[in-house]
Amino acid sequence: MPGNLVIGIDLGTTNCAVAWADASHAGDPAAPSPVEPFAIAQLVNPGEVREEPLLPSSLYLPDSKDFPEGTTALPWDAAPSAVTGTLALKRGVERPGRLVTSAKSWLSHGAVDRSSAILPLNAMEGTPKVSPVEASRRYLEHIRRAWDSRFPDQPFREQQILVTVPASFDAVARELTQRAAEEAGYANITLLEEPQAAFYAWLQAHEDWRQRVKPGDLILVMDIGGGTTDFTLIAVSERDGELTLERVAVGDHILLGGDNIDLALARHVEQQLAARTKLDAMQFHALWQQCRIAKEKLLEEGNKDKDHAVTLLGRGTGLIGGTIRAKLAREDVERILLEGFLPKTTSHEMPQRARRAGLQEVGLPYAADAAITRQLARFLRQQAAEAEHGAVKRTPSGLAAPTHVLFNGGVLRAGLIRQRLMDVLNGWLGEEGAAAADVLPGEDLMQAVARGAAYYGLARRGRGVRIRGGVPRTYYVGIETAMPAIPGMRPPMKALTVVPFGMEEGTAHEFPDREFGLYIGEPAEFRFLCSSVRKNDEAGVLLEEWKPEDLEELAPVEVTLSGGEGQIVRVSLESKVTETGVLELWCVARDGRRWKLEFNVRERVA
Amino acid sequence: MSRISLAFSSFFGILFGGELPAAVASAYGYVRKDAAKPAPPPPAQPVAKPTDGALQLLGILQRDARLVDFLMEDISGYEDDQVGAAVRTMHEQCRTALARYVKLGPVIDGVEGTSAKASAAGNAAAVKFIGNVPAGPPPKEGMLRHRGWKAEKVDLPAVAGKQDLSIIAPAEIEIE
Repeated sequence: MPGNLVIGIDLGTTNCAVAWADASHAGDPAAPSPVEPFAIAQLVNPGEVREEPLLPSSLYLPDSKDFPEGTTALPWDAAPSAVTGTLALKRGVERPGRLVTSAKSWLSHGAVDRSSAILPLNAMEGTPKVSPVEASRRYLEHIRRAWDSRFPDQPFREQQILVTVPASFDAVARELTQRAAEEAGYANITLLEEPQAAFYAWLQAHEDWRQRVKPGDLILVMDIGGGTTDFTLIAVSERDGELTLERVAVGDHILLGGDNIDLALARHVEQQLAARTKLDAMQFHALWQQCRIAKEKLLEEGNKDKDHAVTLLGRGTGLIGGTIRAKLAREDVERILLEGFLPKTTSHEMPQRARRAGLQEVGLPYAADAAITRQLARFLRQQAAEAEHGAVKRTPSGLAAPTHVLFNGGVLRAGLIRQRLMDVLNGWLGEEGAAAADVLPGEDLMQAVARGAAYYGLARRGRGVRIRGGVPRTYYVGIETAMPAIPGMRPPMKALTVVPFGMEEGTAHEFPDREFGLYIGEPAEFRFLCSSVRKNDEAGVLLEEWKPEDLEELAPVEVTLSGGEGQIVRVSLESKVTETGVLELWCVARDGRRWKLEFNVRERVA
Repeated sequence: MSRISLAFSSFFGILFGGELPAAVASAYGYVRKDAAKPAPPPPAQPVAKPTDGALQLLGILQRDARLVDFLMEDISGYEDDQVGAAVRTMHEQCRTALARYVKLGPVIDGVEGTSAKASAAGNAAAVKFIGNVPAGPPPKEGMLRHRGWKAEKVDLPAVAGKQDLSIIAPAEIEIE
């Protein structure tokens, strides 16, 4: 019998959080149940297990002499092969070649094989490595076992599990997340987009939300976390006298976040120190952490200090003698933040050509593309403004005009950053005569996604409002045109729209007119593309030409037909979005036989 | 099984194992009378030594706040601001570590410098009278000079069996 609980899991780039709710909660069946945070037991020091609100998304792969014997035992595993969470992060600073972090960013990184053991990138010869999928599996498994150890009477596998992914995750990254969860022993999984989850958390915290937003409103969710920035637009409309919510646009996955800011500050202090002393890698890491603390202190509400001391204690037993002192001035923090990351730009200034920022955890040159405001302009002008879907308010020049802003992510705890973003946004709106957007008072910026995910689990059972969304992109299958080959030129390709923007969960599209002859027993491969800006291509539409920047090629999909080797079977394609939000492509033969197309993530995408 | 191997396995089985090997027993139709086997002794609980808690706390304060490094360093040669800068960081870390493992509270929750009731009077370890203390039963009240400190709860992590608590901080060797 399935359990009565819904468990929301925020599988973050830097931290994971978990919240849960009881769907069978007594009382008014229409009223949502309370959502509780779940503190995750983890090793915080060798031999010390503690429950913490967040589980750092860090995996440490120890050797047999790393920790004293028996000190990595968990209540549910006497001798784990790897350490997850706080202790992993602590020890990993000292021995970075064995620490895996940011696995999630790798999951969405199309240029590497995400199922092969590549992490940690800088591992020494002969030391263990894991794949991004495997690292994600470990975090998810840790959560499952911590849950079972805490609530043995409510087995995790029997509950409904909601796992959040960035809205910008493409179909491949979503499927890999789903796979990691299945391998971690999860049974009833539904994927949910993080910004939607953040908005659900707001809905859950504000029972009177129907008085706060009205039909025609457009809500911009800005999510700036440790490693990533995501934008999403949610439109409020009215249907049969009820307010409904629809997610109408989703931005690209921008690998830019709080870590970049702290790193920029640390580089700044390092330069001040350069004349006196040279920092080694561990001292620099300590400096990075100290800069984060100093920044948070300086940006705290009501803090008026001109600077904050940054102290690196001596490395050896000589603590005082080796202490390095520096100051992080408020002026510098504000300058680096406001000019480097949040410059006042116009709504026409686009980010310098979306250099997919790679995964530059360390050493990011913050000049190139770090302007969050330009990323926002691109989102509102290009990705959102072409959305015909739903009622999107626009200014005369075509800029999407949000009426409300919801903040999420740790970086936005700083009032200065929130204020700047609102100033810039309202400046753009004001110039074109649109009304200024209001901030929806947020709440817990760190835990909101997990809480919102649990609330969504309740909503799926009819206990709360649901955001209609569907697939946030348009997907195409590439069809190479038959023409004589020319050396050095790929045959021109047409793109068949297989998944239109906004295709809803639990629906399918068939394309019986377009058949392919496939050899049974031989792998067939299709090119697979997506677009976050072309929102009006209907299912079945064949594109002959498009702007190169509008369509992005993903990992190819492949299928090997079984049964009756050597024959040719004529198949047509079918696209389907499962109830759990996963996109599937199928080959369907005329006699009804079906084969599922799988993403080939091993192939390198050029 | 051949007779020779049965003979040898019985011999060595009894010599080293203290009982007839099961294979021999079954070959000759012996039925083992299962004497009530004594329950296996519970795994030996590591005996806590009186010094354990002290060493553990010292280890924690060194690990989280470098307290032992600081106390063992000769600081007479350094300027006050150099010492001050390090101590500010350390103070914060020591405080966090202490608060996590030991819950501290005052013995008498009053304002120092004002009159207070000597609530736990009679327990000389908890309340110490100073000044012109009259003979006879302990006074009921007086001027509170120090609120005292009391460990209301100590929550040190359990020690894993083989942990050597006398190592307060490991030596660190970096491979360049």
